[in-house]
Amino acid sequence: MKQTWKIIRSAFLYLMLTFATVVMAFPLFWMISSSLKTVEETNSAGLIWVSPHPTIQAYLDIFQNTNFTRAYFNSVFYVTLALFGTLISIAAVSYAFSRIDWPGKNIVFFLMLSTMMIPSQALIVPQYVFFNKIDWINTFNPLVIPGYFAGGAAMVFLLRQSMQQIPRELDESAFVDGANHFQIWWEIILPLTKGSLATVATFLFVGLWNSLLTPLMYLQTVDRYTLPVFISTLYNVNQTVQPWPTIMTAAVLTTIPLMVVFFFAQRYILDSVVVSGLKG
Amino acid sequence: MSTNPYIQLLITVLLTIVFIAASSYGIGALARWIARLRGAKPSKQEKVFAGYLFASPWIVGFLIFVVIPMGFSLYWSFTDYRVISNEPPHWIGLANYANLLFHDSSFKAALVNTLYLTVIGLPLEMAVALFLAALLNRKAKGERIFRMAFYLPVILGFNTAVLLAWRLMLNTGTGIINQLWRAVSTFAPVSYLLRAGIYVQEVTAAFFLGINNGTFNLLNKVIEAGFPAANRVPGWVQSPLWSKMSVILLIVWGCGQMMLIFLAGLNNVPKELHEAAEVDGASPMQRFWKISFPLLTPYVFYNLIVGMIASIQIFEPIFVLYRDNQPLVSSAISIVYYLWQKSFSHFEIGYGAAISWIILVLILIVTVIQFRLQNRWVNYDLY
Repeated sequence: MKQTWKIIRSAFLYLMLTFATVVMAFPLFWMISSSLKTVEETNSAGLIWVSPHPTIQAYLDIFQNTNFTRAYFNSVFYVTLALFGTLISIAAVSYAFSRIDWPGKNIVFFLMLSTMMIPSQALIVPQYVFFNKIDWINTFNPLVIPGYFAGGAAMVFLLRQSMQQIPRELDESAFVDGANHFQIWWEIILPLTKGSLATVATFLFVGLWNSLLTPLMYLQTVDRYTLPVFISTLYNVNQTVQPWPTIMTAAVLTTIPLMVVFFFAQRYILDSVVVSGLKG
Repeated sequence: MSTNPYIQLLITVLLTIVFIAASSYGIGALARWIARLRGAKPSKQEKVFAGYLFASPWIVGFLIFVVIPMGFSLYWSFTDYRVISNEPPHWIGLANYANLLFHDSSFKAALVNTLYLTVIGLPLEMAVALFLAALLNRKAKGERIFRMAFYLPVILGFNTAVLLAWRLMLNTGTGIINQLWRAVSTFAPVSYLLRAGIYVQEVTAAFFLGINNGTFNLLNKVIEAGFPAANRVPGWVQSPLWSKMSVILLIVWGCGQMMLIFLAGLNNVPKELHEAAEVDGASPMQRFWKISFPLLTPYVFYNLIVGMIASIQIFEPIFVLYRDNQPLVSSAISIVYYLWQKSFSHFEIGYGAAISWIILVLILIVTVIQFRLQNRWVNYDLY
């Protein structure tokens, strides 16, 4: 009797888990399924789970659309450069906050933590005026350069926490062997914090790849658009028939990099790293 | 400089790296010099140098991208500055703030909508997150795959692409969600339940829209219309009564981050407590509410702050789903969307600066209030 109950309970649990998974993954499925339909099928009043005659026409067409391919290239280009600089500067600053004792460290660290309270949107207006003054409107510069100054206090905090857990003896013995701070940072500390670096890199990548507000503010001509901005132009509220297969094809191609990154980084993200922010 | 944006970016990046290296070295050397003047030992001087060298990218960035902009925006918020006119800003005192707080109906709508998202959306999101975390905490086989699936929406997030997929799914007439809705409504008890849901949600939404507009005509209409007819479906992104609910749906779908936090909390609940309660004959439900939940309150508290701040800052869904679409914009407008509209669509920089200061103060107030209230109900016994 007890055994039967156990089986029923566990079957019920799996039922719930599967149901939740289907719900969570459904938009993704629908995106792919719709990208393989015709416009009529996406707007049909009947329920069509998967088109009976799937077509890849939308995929063939979208690669002919130079605005799309260019937006894709723009996104890859600016995200790569921004990611690289932001990650390295965050790693450098975290090193200063975790491995070196210098006067003023606590004050600076406190200041940095308090910037976490400032929403980025509170700063976009003056930054816009500033970048406008130095003629950076309609360039990628405003989307990339601020990151090079260790933008993202939460990420610095996360990385600092994991750097602090490395025993200090490592640095000290390296010093005795004649290494300098730069070598210790690059050759000892960074390799030992690979997991946290991967986490930070993933969060940064996702944030940059999905970012809409800043590109929207600074990029004005269609040849400079990033993917999210370009895709938002495909959908026009005042149009009665939307080209859904095209939009969903662009959507599938946009989410692929996210999925790939998530697949490789999930073991770092999903373990309790995220919580380190909560427990201090 | 080159007009090719790619080359221009590469050059700027190189210049930035040189600038950061030079300024970091400069700050480090300055700090070391001060330490030497104060008579510090050479080994200490080296530490001072290294510390400031490594930390100065952030220090320099803080000055350039935070302190100076905030100073300017504080000043502009008291002026009528517009970036496209060549006129210098005129000092107008508190006029921007007075306008925003007492006369601006769009801003009031944004505040009320934020309240709606907080009061109705946030509890829903937390309940779903907690439910999913509790499911995962049963440590079923393949838990990892389920965890990935539940977290996936956070990664896809508010990407325009994903938002448009939701837009397609939420179409009132032909969208998959309403088609499924109609399909399950053929079963009478489900139909009554769903229609009751429609009724409650529409009355609530109409009430909030009434606060926005100052008249409750719509609310009266909704109540007069009475219980929804059998063929009624939600209007989702095409109806002012449902525009906010659609956003809440998106938020609830992306509850994976909160779920991870709850999961960590559940992991920290001592097993012995549960074992002891089980011996005493407590049911799983009782054990959850009497043991796990009180110990989870710090995590609830954390999610509450983060969630409230997020609903103040919501932008992408409003932009993608409702831009250029009166009256839907005003029924779903968020504070940050309004900031964007004023600053970058109408170029009223002074007004935008005032909005951003209000955002900042609001977030501070929310955080302070929550920290004040937390000791009334948050249980830190275990920590």
